[in-house]
Amino acid sequence: MATAPPDPSPIPLALTGLSVAYGERPAVQQLSLTVQPGEIYGLLGSNGAGKTSTIKSIVGLVRPVAGEIRVFGLDALRDSLSVKTRIGYVPETSMLYEALTPREFLEFVASVRHLDPATATRRMQSYAEAFRLEAELEEPIATLSNGTRQKVLIIAALLHAPPLLVLDEPLNSLDPRSVRIMKDVLLRYVASGGRGVLFSTHTMEVAEQLCQRVGILDRGVLRGEGTLALLRQRVEAGDASLEEIFLRLTEEDAGVRAAVDSLGDPCA
Amino acid sequence: MSWKEALRLSDVAFTELSLQAVYAFRQGNVLPAGSSRALVARSRRRVFQSKAVISGVLGLLTLGAAAILHQKALNPEILAAVPTGLFQSAVLTGLLSLDIALLWWTGVQVIPTLISSGVLTVLEPLPIDEQTLQRVSGILYLRLFDLPALTILILTPVGVGLALGPLAGLAAFPGALVAVVYALALSLLTGRFFLRRVQGSRGGGGRAVVRWAYLVLWLVPAFAMFAFITAAPAFFRALAVLAVQGPSLDSALLAAAFPFSFAALPAIASGGTSSLAILSPGVDLVLGLAAALYLALAVWAIVWLAGSVRTLLFLPLQAPIRLPTARSTLQPRGRARAVLVKDLRIASRTPGYAFLILLPILDAGALGLLTYATPAENPVAASLALGAVTTAALLATFFGPAFFAIEVVAYSYGRTLPLSNRSVVFGKVALICLMYLIAAALIVGFTLLRFFQPFTFVAFVFAELPAVIGAAFVELGLLFRWARRRGLAITNLYAGAWFAVLVAIPGLFMAGLPPLLFDLTQSSGVGFGLALMALVAVAEFAIATPVALGRGAS
Repeated sequence: MATAPPDPSPIPLALTGLSVAYGERPAVQQLSLTVQPGEIYGLLGSNGAGKTSTIKSIVGLVRPVAGEIRVFGLDALRDSLSVKTRIGYVPETSMLYEALTPREFLEFVASVRHLDPATATRRMQSYAEAFRLEAELEEPIATLSNGTRQKVLIIAALLHAPPLLVLDEPLNSLDPRSVRIMKDVLLRYVASGGRGVLFSTHTMEVAEQLCQRVGILDRGVLRGEGTLALLRQRVEAGDASLEEIFLRLTEEDAGVRAAVDSLGDPCA
Repeated sequence: MSWKEALRLSDVAFTELSLQAVYAFRQGNVLPAGSSRALVARSRRRVFQSKAVISGVLGLLTLGAAAILHQKALNPEILAAVPTGLFQSAVLTGLLSLDIALLWWTGVQVIPTLISSGVLTVLEPLPIDEQTLQRVSGILYLRLFDLPALTILILTPVGVGLALGPLAGLAAFPGALVAVVYALALSLLTGRFFLRRVQGSRGGGGRAVVRWAYLVLWLVPAFAMFAFITAAPAFFRALAVLAVQGPSLDSALLAAAFPFSFAALPAIASGGTSSLAILSPGVDLVLGLAAALYLALAVWAIVWLAGSVRTLLFLPLQAPIRLPTARSTLQPRGRARAVLVKDLRIASRTPGYAFLILLPILDAGALGLLTYATPAENPVAASLALGAVTTAALLATFFGPAFFAIEVVAYSYGRTLPLSNRSVVFGKVALICLMYLIAAALIVGFTLLRFFQPFTFVAFVFAELPAVIGAAFVELGLLFRWARRRGLAITNLYAGAWFAVLVAIPGLFMAGLPPLLFDLTQSSGVGFGLALMALVAVAEFAIATPVALGRGAS
């Protein structure tokens, strides 16, 4: 059996000058960032900041108007099929084949990813057990709750043990137990070396706990990037939380106060 | 709250239902460009058109039955075989059976849409009292059937009245009313079953068999007219025998059977009990009792419907979750085969897709039976069988593009997987071939029982196969190119139907050409015709493959 050629680069993800637009409206402008091997990179931003557009362009759902996307050195636009084999993706919304059961859906994903039955079964069973999903494996997806659907998507993303995970708000709808499991899975995942995770969220606590580095997106532009310590230095606040750093970098600190003041008594 | 408020709320819900039914955007479809007012108006218009089409068919059936009843009075030959009253009762029995079948068929099609649209779940948390919610559900349910049901209720007495007199027309009304009530109740019952056992069915081979069995049942009413026309001569022969026997246990059983008990009433009103020739005081009593019982059942069905419609509309899809007895395993397969299996699994829980798969197969079964029933010495019998195989090829080719719509469901997720369009096309072409081969096997199976000419029939099926594959390649190849160029995520029966029909035109031409050539050259010998047919089919396949598998399609 022929072995696959080595990847051109060990860097899981490198975006250079990425711009995404919907018609005349720019969604992401000149975004450059890298996800290093063994790193969980948090992409933070308010609603509509451009996180999902960035992620969709990486996984091939949106064609960027400018810039370059490289996954382990492979051009995501030219070698899209090769890049897709290296990515595990959890979308923001769960648009699944609702008439399939989770097992049938995972079987389809495993087939597309050319997994052998023993490995695919072992991984599905261990994740299903961890997420307490065994009872729902044979129920149609249409009948499952949002949280359960999210678990199915997470298992589908992890099934082929990809070297790059691209996760768009993956903890939405999950119960606290599953959130905890997911966090631990991600930490162990990158600890095994060579792998990377791009993780979008607007939950600052999660980013603070998980990510080695974060990038703060605001209206399509990267306002700041680095470790928490580096960002604290940049906003000149030694003990600031990520939330405070985020608000300062996006210049929304004063705006938030003004908005709350203008609301007055919510029960009035 | 009042009935007025319930009517207002049901109107809002019906508007939403129409929009969902036509554009299915909750299933991930993209709404076409245009103002929301225009889209709402268009969707309501389309729903009305659908109901008008069903009502038109029901109206034509009623007028046709009335015309038959009228002709009967003038035709002494038929009168001699079957007594007038019995003939009239038989015609009305057929009409009422078809009314129920068509209305029930309408119901089983629209109820899944009604439930999946979730239009009434929006009202549930609002401060609306139970009684109003109940009324809103009831009105909404009735509105699904309003025009067709009114067509039956009005045209049946009018048509019968015109043919047999006003008293007979009046006597036809109870039968029409009971038929409508039964159809509505059957729709609700099967809708409930559909939710639990089809849409909500767990995985596993045994359950898949139950789902496909239900889906066959779901299609059967569509064949009611065909079955009735096929069975009519035998039915009238049986009635003639019964008439010669006079009142008997058989006639009592017939009198007790639905809808004969009601269909006999106009004939009795028109010509008295003697016009049926099978009635006696005892059989009269059976007929009267049966009609009263069916009427009582209809009243009970109305009460049941009033209480159950809302339950059904808010019924959660979740059946009680049970721990699986054995641990689930995965059996990954090749990509194209995975697409095929996925499509079959989706179709087994989605009547719309199941319809596309089962229709050519059931049609083949029906045509095969017809071939089997045709006397062997009849010179058209063999042509009928070959024509049936051609029909199977054309139907499979025509429905092929619709399977592209399955990709709509999770289109955005599917595009993130390392799955080429080529694999998807292969999977869907395999499905179209499967449909054609199963349908053709059914026809050939029935035909070989009657005319044992395996070479002609089997060779015909396989000579046509490359043309079917080529046609499917062209259709799906064009669809994928178009979808990518236009950036459209979807092609469903409403939003992109015109293109699906457009690509079916070259497909139908390709699938139809080889049998046409066979037909034209048959006089030079069957062997020559088959060879020419196979040659053209292979040439079509060779030309079509690059279209689907070329650079632009992968």
